[in-house]
Amino acid sequence: MISNKAKKQIDIWVAKYPEGRQSSAVMEALKIVQAENDNSLTTEAIQAVADYLDMPGIAAAEVATFYENYNHKPVGKHTIRFCHNISCMLNGADDLIVYLEKKLGVKTGEVTKDSLINVKKVECLGACVGAPMFQIGDQYYENLTTDKIDEIVDGLRKKSK
Amino acid sequence: MAKIEIEIDGKLVNARAGEMLIAVTDRESISVPRFCYHKKLSISANCRMCLVDVEGAPKPQPACSTPIADGMKIHTQNEKAKASQKAVMEFLLINHPLDCPICDQGGECELQDVAMDYGSDVSRFTEGKRIVADSDIGALIQTDMTRCIHCTRCVRFGAEIAGIMEMGGTGRGEDMKIEPFLTEGIQSELSGNMIDVCPVGALTSKPFRYELRSWQMNSMSNIARHDLVGSNIYTQTYKGKVKRIVARDNDDTNETWISDRDRFSYEGLAHENRLLAPQIKVEGEWKEVEWNVALDFATRGLGNSVLNNHQSDQLGALASNTATLEEFHLLQKILRELGSENIDHRLNVKNLNSPIALDSNVKLVNLENMDHALIIGSYTRLEQPMVNHRLRKASLKGATVDVINAMEFDFNYSINSENIIAPNKVVATLAGVLKVVLESKQQELPDYLTSVKTDDVITELAEKLLAEGQSVIVLGEHVINNDSAASIANLITNIAKQTKSSTLNLSASGNSMAANLSGFVPGKGGLDVNAMLESELKAYILLDVYPHYDFHHSIKAIDALNKDGAFIISLNSFKDKDVANYSDVMLPISCFYETSGSHVNIEGEIQSFTASVSAPSDTKPAWKVLKVLADLLELPGFHYADSAQVTSEITHQSHKSHVHDENIDLTTKQGIQIIWQKSPYAVDALSRHAISLQATKIGQMNSASMNKATAKKLEMTQGDEYLGVPAIISETVANNCVFVNANRSTQAGGQS
Repeated sequence: MISNKAKKQIDIWVAKYPEGRQSSAVMEALKIVQAENDNSLTTEAIQAVADYLDMPGIAAAEVATFYENYNHKPVGKHTIRFCHNISCMLNGADDLIVYLEKKLGVKTGEVTKDSLINVKKVECLGACVGAPMFQIGDQYYENLTTDKIDEIVDGLRKKSK
Repeated sequence: MAKIEIEIDGKLVNARAGEMLIAVTDRESISVPRFCYHKKLSISANCRMCLVDVEGAPKPQPACSTPIADGMKIHTQNEKAKASQKAVMEFLLINHPLDCPICDQGGECELQDVAMDYGSDVSRFTEGKRIVADSDIGALIQTDMTRCIHCTRCVRFGAEIAGIMEMGGTGRGEDMKIEPFLTEGIQSELSGNMIDVCPVGALTSKPFRYELRSWQMNSMSNIARHDLVGSNIYTQTYKGKVKRIVARDNDDTNETWISDRDRFSYEGLAHENRLLAPQIKVEGEWKEVEWNVALDFATRGLGNSVLNNHQSDQLGALASNTATLEEFHLLQKILRELGSENIDHRLNVKNLNSPIALDSNVKLVNLENMDHALIIGSYTRLEQPMVNHRLRKASLKGATVDVINAMEFDFNYSINSENIIAPNKVVATLAGVLKVVLESKQQELPDYLTSVKTDDVITELAEKLLAEGQSVIVLGEHVINNDSAASIANLITNIAKQTKSSTLNLSASGNSMAANLSGFVPGKGGLDVNAMLESELKAYILLDVYPHYDFHHSIKAIDALNKDGAFIISLNSFKDKDVANYSDVMLPISCFYETSGSHVNIEGEIQSFTASVSAPSDTKPAWKVLKVLADLLELPGFHYADSAQVTSEITHQSHKSHVHDENIDLTTKQGIQIIWQKSPYAVDALSRHAISLQATKIGQMNSASMNKATAKKLEMTQGDEYLGVPAIISETVANNCVFVNANRSTQAGGQS
């Protein structure tokens, strides 16, 4: 379930904690395993992480279900993480989310037919100065408008071709 | 800790610095509402119900996690405290369904009780409530998670007490729910305690579902007799039936927990398989008769077969380990008055040539203070759950635990060194340990040790026992399958003496300590169980014996008892095919909780109990049956008005402790060895008839485990039937061993 490469990466994190506290590395371990499993975690993957870190499966599941960044359903190649907290909301995020959904033909939480993109509503990403904004991968896109969204989404589609 | 004085609601109270406030208010009987706090679990302070006003603190403080300091002034009843408590209550009720009329917890619900005091009459919440899907977590616990208030007591119970974290809080915010991760059902042998700790109706007893309201039942103190601890319980009864069992606090035995076996075995009482009327066999046909007819038939039968011919040495008495102290006493007294010493209860012990003589000399409460434990031949977790709980506590405090077993087991604490060896190597290993111990003390070696080999593992086992701190050597139930059992016990006695270790003898089960105390073992010139069966006695009195399950040599035993000519009186609670085959009279006796009597636990503590319900139908408590039988046999000294008089007779007579036969024999047999272990929920007739217990994972343990090499020798593959149970090939078993966990009737006992 966990590749040797991933295990090596997890071990780096385990080494940062005192001996016997390897379960402290659970968040990073889940992240690493998620990354190599098409960006989502299955029950088996969570159990595998728990086994590797010698902790109860349910304890790993508690972490995996608490944080927004872990996915439990298949996601697209790109996840658009749209902020809908107060600053973005006041600047029209809700309308832009509806626009984006229409453009992609899916609702938030769903994946486009070509498995390229899914949209997720998230809480504040700390970029209120550029509201409304969303995040794709490690990249923030700020001061969004319908035009800008067209440009970004079309760009993603073109890149994948 | 320093003594300090604090003021609670204007009253000066003494306390120790650092105590949590709620512990002080509880001691002073000042009521503070709470949900997540439980005295035996860690503090989580997440329900916020116990908020109180501490003078000087800007905000109300949770009493469960506020350590007290000298001069603190606390108000639990003032406006600020009340307002906070009411506010928390309102929040807790937002998502609670308030379905008390159809909830099993209704009437004994902490949420309901606290809502009476702190809840508002009218809810201000008009939005929709959330619904949480239930998970099926097995045959014992019913879930209704919409009612859950996220106190996390069940989660903490699993992680801290049961040692297997099975429930957890997943999701967050409004989506948080308490659930198990995988839906295989809860595995813990202590799982029923989650029902007790749950303050609401989210986790309730499945067998008890929709049965009764708590106020309809009588709650009576009783003692569970399935293991060597004698857990304190309440039997809750309705119209003469035991409807539920819950834990009763006793810090000396079971603290506030009980095992699932103790909690759910009561279901067997109402099983259709109960023997309800006395029966006699006339010309091969069973006939239901009145008690006086049956007892008359029994007395005449004994007369004709042995007594009239002055052949009382042809009479034997056997009892299973479920009998009470009084029953053991009366039966041995009858035998001895009649002049027979053929008395035994050790039906499941393989080799009785010399007794397993090992005294337990450690209190259960002290077990948790041990620095080191050596467990030999036991899966304590399933065999003696409450003893294991203490060992686990010791382990959590830093004790090291070494194990010598024939198979790897899933202990719920960390094991320092797990030695998986065949039973015939145990005696040599222990001899090696004794040798290392003696050598380190520069003492002279007895002859039998000179040629004993030692190695690193053995040296390490010995060094752990020699190290500073308190050690305990635990001898477990698997030793009864061992030909060298007596030598093993004697070696342990010697090792313990040299290393100043305590000893704990878990080789017996149920109420067998009572059998020992009452002298229910062969006396001078008497035969032990194996000898009795071999010499084909002419008459037997069998007390609650189920040959398929109780005898080590079960097939041999059934054959011997079926031989023509023997007159057999059987006292049983449940019907049994074999009993019906070989008996001449069957007398229906009352079962657990239907009779008064006593249990003797591993500390030698006599715990007496009264009957919680009267005996059903035509059954009678065995002590009464035995008393009347003695009267009919015209024996002197059986004028008892109640079972307590029997008890006091036992406690007033002096008893010799074990007769130590110090012989140590290191020779062992070779070949495939079978360790035959009754599954935890098959230890007595009552648990075998408890349907819900049998439906659990532990209840369905039924397998013969062996490793690949052994399987090859026996020409077995996975799933083949071996001794009547399916074979499992697993490298966790020592070579040349088969570990049989028999749940139902097997042929295993007859072999090996």
